[in-house]
Amino acid sequence: MARGSLTRIGDSWPPVVGALLIIALWQGSVVLFKLPPYVLPGLGSILERMVVERTILLQGLAMTGAEALAGFAIGVAWGLGLAIAITMLPRMERPIMPLIVGINSVPVVAYAPLMLIWFGIGPASKIAMASIAVGFVILLNSLQGLKATDPAAIGLLRSFGAGSVRILTKLRLPMAMPAIVNGLRVGIVRSVLVVIVSEMLGAYRGLGWTIYESTQQTDFLRVWAAVFAASAGSLLLYGVLVAIDRKVVWWR
Amino acid sequence: MSDILRPVLTFVALLVVWEAAVRGLAIRPFYLPAASVVLADLWSAPSLYFHAVVRTLTETLVGFVAGVLFGLACGTLFAHARFMERMLFPYFVVSQTIPVIAFGALIIMWFGNGLLSKAIIAFYLTFFPVTVNTQRGLSGVDEQRIALLRSFGAGSLKMFVKLRFPHALPSIMVALRLGISLSLVGAIVGEWFGDVTGLGVMLVHAMFNEHIARLWGVILICGLLGGALYSAVTAIERRYVFWRAEV
Repeated sequence: MARGSLTRIGDSWPPVVGALLIIALWQGSVVLFKLPPYVLPGLGSILERMVVERTILLQGLAMTGAEALAGFAIGVAWGLGLAIAITMLPRMERPIMPLIVGINSVPVVAYAPLMLIWFGIGPASKIAMASIAVGFVILLNSLQGLKATDPAAIGLLRSFGAGSVRILTKLRLPMAMPAIVNGLRVGIVRSVLVVIVSEMLGAYRGLGWTIYESTQQTDFLRVWAAVFAASAGSLLLYGVLVAIDRKVVWWR
Repeated sequence: MSDILRPVLTFVALLVVWEAAVRGLAIRPFYLPAASVVLADLWSAPSLYFHAVVRTLTETLVGFVAGVLFGLACGTLFAHARFMERMLFPYFVVSQTIPVIAFGALIIMWFGNGLLSKAIIAFYLTFFPVTVNTQRGLSGVDEQRIALLRSFGAGSLKMFVKLRFPHALPSIMVALRLGISLSLVGAIVGEWFGDVTGLGVMLVHAMFNEHIARLWGVILICGLLGGALYSAVTAIERRYVFWRAEV
């Protein structure tokens, strides 16, 4: 036990050295070459700006996070629902898949202006965007997982008199779980990304809007502060998702 | 031949279904104009669309190709310099869980609203996943195979060309597929910050004018472009990387 934790400490120091190296390189070049903030601001001044602007950054973080989570939930619901429907009714697949592939081959950000016109520049358009982006990831991942179930296992369950609903809940869904969870991980990152990008086109508040606004005002420090805040928020959401995944999906 | 014919027929079928659905269900043009209306808009301004496609495609491809080359080099370096990999690789992995596209705003501020800044955004969006997957692919080679090849007297270079790189290619191709999609997204989003030509610019202009037919026209073109780029990468994959990760 003690040995195990010692090795872990031994393993974790190179990344720390790496981080220190990056910070030293960053800070060193700022001080050494007297770089102006529009080339590269010092880390200290970015953090200072984050503290000064904490109200707007936290508000933005809350807004962006709430939109991303709402869009994520809706996307997971329709993506998984449609994947289950296609698995249960295989005849749907041939007519519906070309449509799905067609809609999905458009880079999702291209739908953003349309959503802004349809749903206004409030949160609804961002939630719609996130649910589109997340839905397709979940749909394609779940379909792949649901269809990969061993036919022999399905035959066995069927021979015991299990109907297709039972086969779905007892066999297909648990077997597809790793693929679905993989979709969730990709989905949460895409959700945050798409919300931020949509906010850049127009919003009342949110980190994407703060970034866009500060870019137009060429306020470099504020852009850095908002980008840092967005990265921290995304990491936090991802971390929570991975933690839930470890607790809930214990089989592999 | 059917490789080309099939997608074309599917596309035509989708257009027919689109037209029929709009007419049959009486969908308001505010939501979805008929396919014929959107095609008419494409027909009305062919040079506008053409220049936008050329611009966005150039940004995407320049950034993508540079990102692939640099990512391959970095991934190879990481796979061979263990200590550097352990110091820096975790941050490359972390970069895939944060919205790195937000850094695009800084790129635009540094390099202005030209072609270069968008190519740089596409570059770094491609470079991160390619580095990660190159390193993973190169490092995942079975130790016994390495020992076997070494026993035949193969040097490091031969080992790389004959064993490590072919083994890593399927994993690298996964990153290329992701990279080409991200590059296009990066180019489009980068154009929102005040450029004058490109598909992203057309999207923003159509939005401000509430020109729904134009908006759908650009979406259609974006879809065709995205589909074509993705298919090109998978076609290369099928043609040259026919083996799987296990081989």
